[in-house]
Amino acid sequence: MPDALRILMPLLISAVGTGLVTGSGARWPRSAAPLAITTAALAVVATLMMRTGASVDYVWAPQWGLRLNLATDGLAKMYSLLATGVGLLVLIFAAGYIPRHLKHTHSGPERGARFFSLILLFMTAMIGLVMAQDLILIVIFWDLTAITSYYLIGFDHQRSDSRRAALTALLVTIISAIFLIAASALLLNDLGTASAPEILATAQAGRTVTIAGALIAIAALAKSAQAPFHFWLPRAMAAPTPVSAYLHSAAMVAAGVFLLGRMHPLLALSPRLLDALVVVGFSSMAVGGVMALAQPELKRLLAYSTIGQYGYVVVLLGLGEVAAAAVYVLVHALIKSALFLTAGAVTEATGEVRLDHLGGLGRQMPLLAFGGGLAAAGLAALPLTAGFFKDEVFFAGADGRGGIVPFLAVAGAIVTFAYTWRFWSGIFAGPRRATARPIPWLLTAPVVVLGLLVLVFGLVPGIIVYLTREAGSTMAGAPVLLDLQYHLNLHAPNVMALATWTGGLALTTTARFWLPLPRRIALWARHVGPDRAAARLVRGLYLLSRRMHVYEVQTLQQRIGTIFVGAAALVGITIVFAPPWPTFHVGGLPVTDWPLVLFLVLAGLSGVVATRARGRLSLVLALSAVGYSMSAVFSFIGAPDVAIVAVLIETVMTLLLLGVISLLPRDSVQHRTAERERQRRGSWVVGVLAAAFAFIVAWGVLSRPAPDATMAREHLNLAPSAHAADVVTAILADFRGLDTMGEITVIAVALLGTLTLFATRARTERR
Amino acid sequence: MSTLLVRGVARLILLPTLVTAVAFLVKGYASAGDGFSAGVIAGAAVVLQFLAFGPRELIDRFPVLHYAPWLTFGGLLLGLLTAFVPVLLGDPILTHYPRAGEHVAHVGLLAMHTAVLFDVAVFMVVFGFVVSVLGLIGGIGVEGEGS
Repeated sequence: MPDALRILMPLLISAVGTGLVTGSGARWPRSAAPLAITTAALAVVATLMMRTGASVDYVWAPQWGLRLNLATDGLAKMYSLLATGVGLLVLIFAAGYIPRHLKHTHSGPERGARFFSLILLFMTAMIGLVMAQDLILIVIFWDLTAITSYYLIGFDHQRSDSRRAALTALLVTIISAIFLIAASALLLNDLGTASAPEILATAQAGRTVTIAGALIAIAALAKSAQAPFHFWLPRAMAAPTPVSAYLHSAAMVAAGVFLLGRMHPLLALSPRLLDALVVVGFSSMAVGGVMALAQPELKRLLAYSTIGQYGYVVVLLGLGEVAAAAVYVLVHALIKSALFLTAGAVTEATGEVRLDHLGGLGRQMPLLAFGGGLAAAGLAALPLTAGFFKDEVFFAGADGRGGIVPFLAVAGAIVTFAYTWRFWSGIFAGPRRATARPIPWLLTAPVVVLGLLVLVFGLVPGIIVYLTREAGSTMAGAPVLLDLQYHLNLHAPNVMALATWTGGLALTTTARFWLPLPRRIALWARHVGPDRAAARLVRGLYLLSRRMHVYEVQTLQQRIGTIFVGAAALVGITIVFAPPWPTFHVGGLPVTDWPLVLFLVLAGLSGVVATRARGRLSLVLALSAVGYSMSAVFSFIGAPDVAIVAVLIETVMTLLLLGVISLLPRDSVQHRTAERERQRRGSWVVGVLAAAFAFIVAWGVLSRPAPDATMAREHLNLAPSAHAADVVTAILADFRGLDTMGEITVIAVALLGTLTLFATRARTERR
Repeated sequence: MSTLLVRGVARLILLPTLVTAVAFLVKGYASAGDGFSAGVIAGAAVVLQFLAFGPRELIDRFPVLHYAPWLTFGGLLLGLLTAFVPVLLGDPILTHYPRAGEHVAHVGLLAMHTAVLFDVAVFMVVFGFVVSVLGLIGGIGVEGEGS
């Protein structure tokens, strides 16, 4: 199937490359960087050659409607171009950066190889995510990006802030992914399909769709680091610079707005949801902008800038300007990766991370100042750069909505202008405060390339249109008009842009007077921000779980008690909140069932005997009497297979227990101490509680009207055609064979665990 | 517990029990019984020997029991093969051959059917598990006595 191959090419190249780099990097660490760069370059070419409108659809679990459905639509093409293109430049930068980083952190070269394979895995997950057309598949790739980012952010795992940052990012993005899973389940239940195009085509405005849309939006906003879930992103600065550059521009954070775009027609069914997006977007712009103004550290400033910039995108999506959102994502990715790489290169050259320790480096690093300057000009939306158009479409969208929105838009842009100037001028302009050591060209070249791209895209805006129009059409579900060119007149976006530059200049020239204000806000936010609430929550949960664990492992009684009481509580909650049956009722007892009662009484008596048993042997025998009585019950109600298995299991268990007892030292008399008395009383409580709930559940199930027998009848009818005279065997080996497969796997894994346990024990005993 | 009587009985019923186990496995498609029951019966036979002769003597008499874990993992492999080979042939997972409606050859009661192969896998896993765990427990017991 060459067609399918061509569609999957970027994904396959990237996946195979990940494997190659992992394998060869473990052997020859030096080969990792060139291999990774080659892979990314091939993936870029494959993405550029991608024909849009084709799809691969393979049903791999028809019972559950799970499909391996990947398609190359405009949206997928744009985002995979970003993932591979920016990924390529980031990898080139990393080829120069990582060896030095390893030297700083005193790590071996094999860690570097790991870095390159992780970045490629990230790229693979991203390409898979943007091509996936099935919500379940989206969830899988979504979580894969989160897990990969965990390892990348925590790359310097010897540092505790790295580890904490990685965990925060993982918790925020994985927990929010549960909302995405819930939304998928809702839609699957409501519309009968998990396929995104089918959902978008058939969904009707309504409560379920609104809830599903809101859940999807929460997952996406958390991933895109929008307020109030933004706090994981500035922390993630603990990652090596290439990771930050990639994370902030083309991967991870971009995945959130991508999902909003992919499901946009669904969100658009509930206007209130879109309004909420506008609010969240503006809040993030405010948080990101103000905090970026206050940050003293280079990468932290850029991190807050990313929060604000994705706020723009979320606002545009909320306004329904999907094509504009695509333009914004594309342009921002180029700019932000360039700025991060600039910051990384500067820190590498000077060893400084703070703005107030830097300055006047323009002379010493002219190329970097040039490339970074172009990117900064783009972020500040100066004309002749691609950034001009990102603000132009933003202003046009805001102007279309009217009201207070255009003013907020200009205010946000002014703040962006101010912190961008603060970033660039703080490094390259002004008096010289630091000396730069020479750095390899690999660190400078990607910045210059990205900066030039920003310039070229600004000079020839047709390229932007070419790259984003199809993405916009995919998101809108219909062809969209997108026309970018310079208008030399006073239409609204131009006026707003002029207002931005004027306001921005005014703000930068008066920085001295107002700068303490955002600093104070930043200080205050450290005490009340969501960051702190999340940390408290995590810590509280940890303490709770630890306390429960300590209680549970003290004695066998406490362990069993925890399980029983916990199970009883769960059952109790279910019964209280969702009684699945209307009433309990007492049935009759036909004469034919009397023998059953006899054996049940026998089982009960044996149970009582078991609690009174003194010696181990009598205990084992009493317990097996319970089991045999129950087997007899099964055989009476016409379940010979169950009865046979029950008898067999009972026999083997009894024999095994006897065998174990024969190995134990002689049965010592049980001491009747006060401690033991207390435990006995506790056992009574637990036993009565567990029995009560088991009774309620059994009663409830038996009170239900006779279960639907169609499934059983169908199995009975099908058994002969499965060449089986015995239906139970046919069910085990054929109809529900997959279950059996799972069960024997569990047995094998249990054996593996037991073997390991005994092996460790033997080893420790020998010592 | 290892009285003369127990030893005698254990020795006597070992073979019949194993034959019963095989019968359960083979006739599973005709009437009650399947790989799981067969595995448990065979396991019970070994447990009885264990009780009668103790871990040391049992292992001396049947050194092959050392390889019981491999039986489990081999069974798992066989199960996975019967499950996934159909996928390579383009059929759904765990398709059994001959397919429904086609003729199945019989050798006595034994059906020449891949579902039986799957049942054999279940048997191997279960039997191997019982014997391995027994061996592990017994092995520790012996070490405990020595120290």
